[in-house]
Parts: sequence; structure tokens; C-alpha cells
Amino acid sequence: MGYPEGYLSERPPWTTLAGIRNALGRRAHAAGRYFAVFLLDAGGLGILWILVSYAYAWYVLHATAYMLVPWWLFAVGVVEGAALWGSFGLSLGQRLLGRELGPAEGREASARVRVRYFLLWHAFVLPGIGFLFDPPLHERLSGLRLRPRRIEGTAPAPWYRTSSGLFVAALLVVTCAAAVGVTISWPALARLFRQAGETADFWRALVSPDTSILLDAGRDMIVTIFMAVLATLFAVVVAVPLSFLAARNLMTGPVGRPVYTILRGAMSIIRSIEPIIWAIIFLVWVTALRSAFAGVLALWVHSIADLVKLYAERLEAIDQGPIEAITATGAGRLSVLRYAIIPQIVNPYISFTLYRWDINIRMATVVGLVGGGGIGQRLINYIWGVQYRQAGTVMILIVILVWAIDYLSARLREKFA
Amino acid sequence: MVCLPMANPYLVVEHLTKVYERGQVLALRDLSFTVDKGEFLVVIGLSGSGKSTLLRCINRLIEPTKGKIWLDGGEVTRLSQARMRRVRRKIGMIFQQFNLVDRSTAIANVLTGRLGYLPGWRALLGWFPEEDREKALASLERVGLRDKAYVRVDQLSGGQRQRVGIARALMQEPELLLADEPVSALDPATSHSIMQYLEQMNKEDGVTVIASLHFLSLARRYGTRIIALKDGQLVFDGSPQAIDNVKFKEIYGEDAEEVEVR
Ligand SMILES: Nc1ncnc2c1ncn2[C@@H]1O[C@H](COP(=O)(O)OP(=O)(O)OP(=O)(O)O)[C@@H](O)[C@H]1O
Ligand SMILES: [Mg+2]
Repeated sequence: MGYPEGYLSERPPWTTLAGIRNALGRRAHAAGRYFAVFLLDAGGLGILWILVSYAYAWYVLHATAYMLVPWWLFAVGVVEGAALWGSFGLSLGQRLLGRELGPAEGREASARVRVRYFLLWHAFVLPGIGFLFDPPLHERLSGLRLRPRRIEGTAPAPWYRTSSGLFVAALLVVTCAAAVGVTISWPALARLFRQAGETADFWRALVSPDTSILLDAGRDMIVTIFMAVLATLFAVVVAVPLSFLAARNLMTGPVGRPVYTILRGAMSIIRSIEPIIWAIIFLVWVTALRSAFAGVLALWVHSIADLVKLYAERLEAIDQGPIEAITATGAGRLSVLRYAIIPQIVNPYISFTLYRWDINIRMATVVGLVGGGGIGQRLINYIWGVQYRQAGTVMILIVILVWAIDYLSARLREKFA
Repeated sequence: MVCLPMANPYLVVEHLTKVYERGQVLALRDLSFTVDKGEFLVVIGLSGSGKSTLLRCINRLIEPTKGKIWLDGGEVTRLSQARMRRVRRKIGMIFQQFNLVDRSTAIANVLTGRLGYLPGWRALLGWFPEEDREKALASLERVGLRDKAYVRVDQLSGGQRQRVGIARALMQEPELLLADEPVSALDPATSHSIMQYLEQMNKEDGVTVIASLHFLSLARRYGTRIIALKDGQLVFDGSPQAIDNVKFKEIYGEDAEEVEVR
């Protein structure tokens, strides 16, 4: 009683919306697969062509050229090359997408069939008619088909598990992100270039420093350095003990684990709030203290959270061997801490502290911008006051300061590596 | 059927069982054996057979799940942590990976062998008595490293590091020495020199030694007795000569070939 499937359905599938959508979807799918292979091939050949031409032009002809032929010849060459490659060999795109050209049902993939496929390709793919059919017309007529390349007896990996699938996905994401980004920011981007001339006054002022403020600015710079030093020092005092409570390997058991979890959670929340926000919080909190004190507090809080994380992660990575060995000598818990753990962490701790101090110098200037004292506050005051010459001087000083501290801290850290 | 021999053995292990909670590994299954004072006992067995676990159960770096261990007439498995520390200081231990504090000097590492004897506050201040320092130098002298005393151990070779480990154990004036694969990370010639230090401690200082080894040739050469573990069970206990080819295949599996270390 074998009625063909769909025989009893009331309407033919192509008269229903779902049927049309379905048919279109399948067709688009076949075409997409085909074009993905083709684009990869053509792109690969094009890039190769350009690279070779460029190298040839540069080294042999001593000129800068990318194609060495008219652009239409280049296009034809690339397109034909890709078609040939895909018809007669295992092309780049086929390799990447894990597909190959092969007999559709039973027919040989002889050279003759492949030639027919290649010729039909011109007739149906170039005008696009072929893709109104599913499978595409040239595939149907030649009896060849782009089909998954699979090793006998192995299950195919889903696209997100194959390197080519991930590559294409990454490429798409980057392309889309770039496209979206440019589209969104286009007006601003355009203005960035168009209005560049209007900042000429500003730049001119910036490069004609006003040396009369050097003394005052220098004093503020020292304030900034001390803000960073104080914040770092006090943060170390708090962070070192806390780091032991925040190390997963040391905090075990029914009491330890919750302490660890809560502490690490709290620290990551505090750390995720930028120092500049902390500065604003403290400026509001300690009203009328528009001063370096609020800045120090802000840096202090943020440094604690940051250092606890850095320290604790180092503690989690210590070598258990010495702990075992010292315990085996009959030493007590504190001795194990003193002789097996601390020697392993002193240098990394110092190094992290210097690193954080380096960050704090930069942060101290930023915190100053919202009124947290120091050189940053002076800078923002000049900028609001349209005193660009003075602002420029301060900016130069900040660059020198940050550069010097960066260098110094890197050199010091080398010693504690 | 547990019968303690007449002349009380130095170490008695009875029905020792260890289950690692994580992964539910049965690392030791109902192990019973005794060790007399002055013996050089070698533990052999494939990787994962439980040698390290056994040695660490003896000084309770790992808590046994079941079973009892007596050391010198006292039951180790019943002691509190504080008392266990007093017992541990008489048990030296050396390790496959040496387990030294890499950033410290050789002498600093050797001195830690005295920590069990030092009052807590002195230990924290690093205030070792003068005679401990002299003893440390003497220990280093004994393993031929007197001139490396003030070199950081991460600048020493593998063999030299293991000798620092031995010097650290010497500082404890141990009665029992546990050696967990002391020569697995070393070349054959160095292995012999390290084993000879252990043999010397055993013969001259009367230290009872329990060492786990990978190579049967080393076990035969240095051991006075051998026990073999397989999947946490005792499959052999006897003199080194008693391990013939049949026994060997039983311990290491059918396909094993004996490799010599000369
Ligand atoms: N901390 C642990 N947690 C869970 N399982 C463990 C742990 N330590 C060891 N084991 C398991 O217990 C068994 C015995 O390990 P053990 O380290 O005692 O073997 P071994 O004979 O010393 O091996 P090797 O020669 O490789 O050192 C192994 O199966 C191992 O996987
Ligand atoms: Mg082991």
C-alpha cells in the first residue's frame, strides 16, 4: 500500500508558506556551502597572487605593485583558478571545510566527469541559474557533488569542534564586530578627522610649556608619589594576612572553605569597581575633604583587593614538596609556614607589590582628576580653566613621572623575579 | 591471626588500609608486615602500587583509613598531632623530588632538620643554637657538600640536592629513615652514590631504613629484605635472593623485563 509520502496532504508543499521557506532554506544551504568553499579558494589564490606579485615586483623590478596585470585579468585568473582547483583537486576551501567533490550516486569521478562539471560550472554558477535547483544544476548534470569528507567509520565532528569551523566562525565574528563598530561610530569617526584642525590652538599651547609653574607642579607630583606609596604600603599590611585566608589550598574544611569563598567574592567585587569610582565614593563620604586623603583611601581599597588576588594565586601555586618535608621533620604548623611557605612567596610578593605601586602612581593621577589630590587635580583645574599651556606642562611632567616609575619598577622587579 | 613475635619488632604494620576519598582509590589493602631494628627494607612495586602512600602512612603525613602501626612499642596511629610531631623528629625522610626549599641555601635547608627539636618561638626567629649550625656543617661534610653550604640549592645538581636532603635527615638523628624513591630522578652512577650514603647510615649509625625503589637490581644490591606491593596488596615478603624470574613476573606483570642498574 505504498503511497508516496505527502500524497495525501491537502496542498502541495510549495503552496504553503512553510513549504516555500523550507525549500528556500535548503537551496540557500546548498549554495552557501558551495560558495564558502569557492570564496576560500578564490581568496586564498588572490592573496597568494598578491604576495607573489608583490615580492617579485619588490625584489626583481624594484617597484611597488600588487598584481602586475590589469585588475580584470587578476579577477578572471583567481576565479578560474579556484574553479579548476575545486573541480580537479582537493582545494583549500574543501580542506578547511572538510568537504570534497565526489560522485553523487554511484557514478565514477573520472576526469571526463570532472571536465563536464567544470564546464557546466561556467554555464550555471556564473549566471546563478544553477542554484535555483537543489542540488545545484551543474552538480546534478555532472553527477558530482560536494559532500562531506569523512574518514571511514568515524563520526563527523560538529562544526564547533573542527578547526576550520572555528576559524570561519572567528572570522565572521571579527568581521561583523568591525562592521558594526565602524557603522555605529561613523559620524564620530568622521568628525575625528574633519575637526582635527580646530585643536591646533590646543596643541600649540601644549608644546609651549609654562616653566613658571614647575615648582608648584613638582610639589603636587611628590604628593602623588606619596599617595601611591602610602596606599600601597597600607594595602600590603592588610593584604598579606588576608591572602592566606583567600588561598584555596590552605583554606580547607568546613570553616576554611566558606571563609575562602566569601573573601574571594568580596575582593573581586571591590576590584571590579574602578579606583576613580572609589575616589568619588570617598569624596562624597568624607565631605569637604576634597584632598589627597580621599585619593589615598580609594587607591588603598582597590590595591587591597588586587593584591589579595595576586598574592593568593601565588600561594595556590606553591610547591607542596617542602611543606611535606618540613612537616616530616616534626616541625609545628607555624614553622612549616615560616620555613616551607614563606621562602617560596617572599620574592613574588615583593614583585607584585612593586607592580601595584607602579599602577598606583598612574591611578593616583587619574584619581586626582575627580578631586583626589595631587598632580591630577592640578591638571584638571588647568583644563577647566582653559590654561592649556600650563596643562601641557603638567602633562609632560606626568609622562616623565610615569615613564620613570615604570622603568624603575621593572628594573627592581627583575631582581625579585 | 595477628601474632607479635617474641623479640618485639621495631615497626609493626597491621591491616593497614588507605582509601583516598577523592576518586575512591583503594591505595593500600589490608597490609601487614613487621620490620626489625637495623633492617634495610626495600619496597618495590609498579607505579601506582601504593609505595609512597605506605611510607607516608608510617609517619602519618597521610592518615591511614584503617589499621594500626606500632613504632618502637608505641602505637603511632593513636597519637594526637602534637605527640605525632615528637615521634616524627626521630623519623627522617627523603623524597624523589628532594622537596628542598629552592630559594634557600643548602645550610638553611639542612638546618630545618632540627625544627622538631627547637622551641616554637626560636624556630620562628630562625634562632638556631650554635651547635646546630656546626652539626649542619658536619652533616654537609659527611655527604661531601661542605663547600656548597652557602649556595642556593636551585643551583645544585640533582645528586647534590638529594645529598642535601640526606644531610637534612641526618640532622634529625633519626632512628628510622623513610626514603621514597630516593634515586628515581638520578642517573645510575649518582644513584649508587646516594644509595651508598643510605647504606652507610644503616650500617654505621644503625638507622632502620625503609626505601621504595624502582629497580630490582638496586633493591637486591642494598636491601636486606624486600617487600613487594601490587595494587596496594602485599605480594611478596622475603629475602632479596628469593625473587626469581617467576616472582618478578608476578610483581611486575607478564610483559616485564628486568633492567639492570650498574
Ligand atoms: N592524593 C591522592 N588522592 C587520590 N588518589 C591518590 C592520591 N595519591 C595517590 N593516589 C592514588 O593511590 C594509588 C597509589 O599511589 P602511590 O603514590 O602510593 O603509588 P606509588 O607506588 O608511590 O607510585 P609511583 O611509583 O608512581 O610513585 C594510585 O592509584 C594513585 O592514583
Ligand atoms: Mg611514589
